[in-house]
Amino acid sequence: MRRPLQITLLVLSGLGLLHIALFTDLYLRYVKEGMRPLLVASGVLLVLLGVADAVSYGRRDKHEEHAPHGESGHGHDHSSAPRVAWLLFLPALSLLLYAPPALGAYTASREPAKAVTHQDAFDPLPATSPIPMTLTDFTLRVQEDRTRAIKGRTVQLSGFVTPGRQRGSWFLTRIIISCCAADAQSVKLRIYGSAPKADTWVSVTGTWHPGGTLGTSSASAALDARSVEEVAKPVNSYTDDLPLTPTR
Amino acid sequence: MQETTERIETAEHADSDTTVDAEAAPGWPRSWPLMLLGAAIVPGTVLYLVGKGLQTPAMQAWRTVCLAVTVQALPFLLLGTALSGAINAFVPARVFSLVLPRRPVLAVPVAGMAGVVLPGCECASVPVANSLIGRGVTPAAAFAFLLSAPAINPVVLTATAVAFPGQPAMVAARLLASLATASVMGWLWLWLGRAEWLRPTARHTGHETGASRWREFRAGFQHDFLHAGGFLVVGAMAAATFNVAVPRSVLETFSGSAWLSVLFLAGLAIVLAVCSEADAFVAASLTGFSPVARLAFMVVGPMVDLKLIALQTGTFGRAFALRFSAATVVVAVLSSALIGGALL
Repeated sequence: MRRPLQITLLVLSGLGLLHIALFTDLYLRYVKEGMRPLLVASGVLLVLLGVADAVSYGRRDKHEEHAPHGESGHGHDHSSAPRVAWLLFLPALSLLLYAPPALGAYTASREPAKAVTHQDAFDPLPATSPIPMTLTDFTLRVQEDRTRAIKGRTVQLSGFVTPGRQRGSWFLTRIIISCCAADAQSVKLRIYGSAPKADTWVSVTGTWHPGGTLGTSSASAALDARSVEEVAKPVNSYTDDLPLTPTR
Repeated sequence: MQETTERIETAEHADSDTTVDAEAAPGWPRSWPLMLLGAAIVPGTVLYLVGKGLQTPAMQAWRTVCLAVTVQALPFLLLGTALSGAINAFVPARVFSLVLPRRPVLAVPVAGMAGVVLPGCECASVPVANSLIGRGVTPAAAFAFLLSAPAINPVVLTATAVAFPGQPAMVAARLLASLATASVMGWLWLWLGRAEWLRPTARHTGHETGASRWREFRAGFQHDFLHAGGFLVVGAMAAATFNVAVPRSVLETFSGSAWLSVLFLAGLAIVLAVCSEADAFVAASLTGFSPVARLAFMVVGPMVDLKLIALQTGTFGRAFALRFSAATVVVAVLSSALIGGALL
């Protein structure tokens, strides 16, 4: 790989990282929020490296016009980067021009739902109705809470739509990552009602769908939907947060 | 796209020119106009299908995972290559002979423990190990460092403690099993390793008198980064392929048998290529499996995975990467079975 190409590659990779981490929030489709400073620093470093190399390349051209083929002495080792470096153009250009979307229904439909951890003590549920809840909390309430406080209560949850295999039900889904999108895990609730389009973000209001014994792991993590409203996709979609729309 | 078609067309012209010359020769396929037509249609169709294929959910998930692995690893790869460049340009070789015991057998465990100081995931340690070898550190010790650094640094151990709340034994078992594997692999290299498996590291020759240290650092840094970065992309592609092609629901079928589940999770760690700072969370989520199997996942993952094999192939050569990775898997599985069996 020629020197000018190396410089282009370094600058493009740096700009790609800066584009997703500094100028936009695209990086949240791939990695955790905490990576932002590291990504910005890497982007700046790569751009600087490219610029420094461009400067020294320009100077070399002026100084060594008499010997166009030779880089003097020791620098020779580094003048050519290995051919495999071409592959770095793929992520760099992809980040800049065509960033793929966050993982969604396709991934969630192929993974089993994340198992809930054991929990003994539960705080009393707030008196508001509907109660805004996360998918994990709702699953915990249904499968672990012996007091069955959730029974008959109206809850409000949000997530994206994963189509179900049976007619008349679908999955309200959240994908959670612990480091990057390669370790995605999904939380799913079966929703009884007509399914919106896959991958749309919705807020669902409803009550527990009876199935199994409430308060034990046999209880179905399912909801009878009373209303399903379309909501905006959150900036950071890889979290299990409370519903985005505040209750009245 | 236009450019490609144009290039193909010029290639065709070149082809047809040669065919005119070659027509006289007996045995030239008579169907060359048909082949020409095929050459004109096939690339267009392929481009169309690729364009459509990029839009399918599976392809998009593949691209997302591939980019995610790359983006996640890039800062750590930069850190590793910067460190490697700095070691090469600024650290005199005598420092290592002062710090490490003279006898290689003793240097191995010391280098393994030294892995604590490199906070990062596994991509950072490959270029650093390479530059250590270049500066005269015995390869066995450098490999012990290469294996232990991503597994036992404070960031990773803290993540493990967070992922397994109330189970300090898991953290201890991970630390011990990783250190044991790293040391055993170092000693194995002393016993069986051959220098010719390693691609000669011509580049890391250290500081040359008269040359600017800063320029040396920058040139080494840049070369290492471009090199390792290319291989990182290869590894990320392989990992993304497995990630998308093998649904996690398949995993649950293997959780029954104790031995099979250990082997299976070790294999999973290799193909998933989750970075070592996150693998504890993934291991914690594999609730159907025994603690020993999950320990094997966390011990093998930072030492051997598709991304690392690609990086090692690029840095040390294929002859080394394949042998070393295969041996490491065996040692890591055995040591996590032994230490996990005793502690968990």
